[in-house]
Amino acid sequence: MKKGVKWILLTALFVVGIGKAVSAKTDEATLIFAAYTVPKEAYQKEIIPAFQKYWKEKTGQNVKFEESYEASGAQSRAIAAGLEADIAALSLEKDVSRLKDAGLITHDWKNNKYNGFVTNSLAVIVFRPGNPKNISGWEDLAKQDVDVIYPSPKTSGGAMWAVNAIYGAGLKMSEVKTGKKDFAYARQLLKSIQKRVKVMDKSGRLSVTTFENGIGDALVTYEDEALLRQKQGKEFPFIAPGSTILIENPIAIIDKNVNKHQTRNIAEAFLEFVHSKEAQRLYAQYGLRPVNEEVAREFAAKYPAPKYLFNINYLGGWNQVENDIYGKNGVWTKIIEELGR
Amino acid sequence: MYGRSSPSDRVTNSDLALRSLSFGYIGLLIVLPIIAMVARSLEGGLAALWADMTLPPAIYSLKLTISTALIMVAINVVTGTATAWVLVRYRFPGKNLMDALIDLPFAMPTIVTGIMLVAVYGPKSMIGAFFNRYGIEIMFNKPGIIIALLFVTFPFVVRAVQPVLIEMDKDMEEAARTLGASSVIIFLRVVIPSLLPSILTGAALSFSRALGEFGSIIMVAGNIPFKTQVASVYIYGEIESYNPQGALGLSVVLLLFSFVTLLVLNVLQYWSRRHEKN
Repeated sequence: MKKGVKWILLTALFVVGIGKAVSAKTDEATLIFAAYTVPKEAYQKEIIPAFQKYWKEKTGQNVKFEESYEASGAQSRAIAAGLEADIAALSLEKDVSRLKDAGLITHDWKNNKYNGFVTNSLAVIVFRPGNPKNISGWEDLAKQDVDVIYPSPKTSGGAMWAVNAIYGAGLKMSEVKTGKKDFAYARQLLKSIQKRVKVMDKSGRLSVTTFENGIGDALVTYEDEALLRQKQGKEFPFIAPGSTILIENPIAIIDKNVNKHQTRNIAEAFLEFVHSKEAQRLYAQYGLRPVNEEVAREFAAKYPAPKYLFNINYLGGWNQVENDIYGKNGVWTKIIEELGR
Repeated sequence: MYGRSSPSDRVTNSDLALRSLSFGYIGLLIVLPIIAMVARSLEGGLAALWADMTLPPAIYSLKLTISTALIMVAINVVTGTATAWVLVRYRFPGKNLMDALIDLPFAMPTIVTGIMLVAVYGPKSMIGAFFNRYGIEIMFNKPGIIIALLFVTFPFVVRAVQPVLIEMDKDMEEAARTLGASSVIIFLRVVIPSLLPSILTGAALSFSRALGEFGSIIMVAGNIPFKTQVASVYIYGEIESYNPQGALGLSVVLLLFSFVTLLVLNVLQYWSRRHEKN
């Protein structure tokens, strides 16, 4: 046992030694960047190379990026468990909040012009070419002959967005019609769609694969995921329902890690860069809606706003959603139980 | 369990070193993580653990896991024994190739197994489309789970039975035949009883393996709670939704099932060996 401890200490010393050796070089800096999977192409092909060029011109320093792309929740857990990311770009606000709760983020990361967000998207419905099942809105997903695909909200941020979108749209549409949020109607809408769900994969990406494998008539996913497929030349028709949720993707500096790596100045520059017009245009080309208002206006034709758009605050914010929809007595949890009977 | 290993009771230093090495290894690699898991599952108290374990979707997933595993074992016992029989008792071209193919399921990443099974039996495939016409779903339903389990556990029964079959004395069979017993009777009364311990070993190993199988099932099951969500996928969901407690609770139950299965197996073997000696 004592020997084991000695080995662990030796290994630890060795690792620390390597860390020191790397950070001692000043003409090159390393930024550890952890993100969710969907914007991988945008970061790898455009944003990161553009920032490296910008930083080199500005300071003469080379920035090396160590990139990690994982499902949002898994990424958040990995960082909380010790993945020393300097910057986290995740799918859901709550995955960043978790890092604040864990004490890794010590500043008020939402206190900026963009409320801590870097890109937007929508929850949309993808259908088969030619739209054989005539899908034009959420209600059509409840039809008896329509098989629906979305991932499990237990494992996928994308699925939470899908369920939030359906439930919220039920509330919104009833509110538009009667002037009051009809919770029973929203619940019934969600229940009748959940009943049609054929496969619940673990991630949004896998659900797209399942759909491409010929399973299901409709897929609920991110608008940027659908646009990315179209960009790749695939036939991937989709509609944004008249009422749907605005998906807001956060980005934040992890204080504890940038302090340790002494990379705060570069990390801050990167965060400023991703909100610049240049970077926001790049996101827009990869299917993500820009948060920069000026760039958003440029792309208004590509990204029309649905008539009855709402965001997470319409449902009371993430804390309430986690409790009211996914908690032990949440709407979705109970619907699953009822359908199981 | 298998009796004294050395003829004399004298323990040399090298014996001692070897023993402590293997104990230490098993301790660090297997026992320690299991203890950590059980301890963590008890962190919230027994009542909380019980509440997590008895949630309706948890119980359903456990029942589904065990029932599909049992069906798999029933099929595996027959096909595995038959395969071993064919490999040992017959000569045919391509026998070595077939023998080599048997271990392949162990080498394949289980997620690849899942993708492959969907490609072959999914609704878009020829086989899947054929069954779909008669309203039978193979993939994204229970048959898919059983097929995936059959695939990943296939080697266990074959590899347990095969060596016993090779070593088996044909004299008993010959004697029975001379006494006028039919082939069926010989197989049931002579061959099967001597193969039984190894068949049970294979069955227990494949059952235990099936309880924890995840990679292939999550690709082929559909994962709908109360319908096609097995325990390992439920556990994964709880971990992903920040409820490690609930996940650990059900993991402990799965572990207990495996442990009891393997324990019973060992006791049975011990008992049958003593039986043979006397």
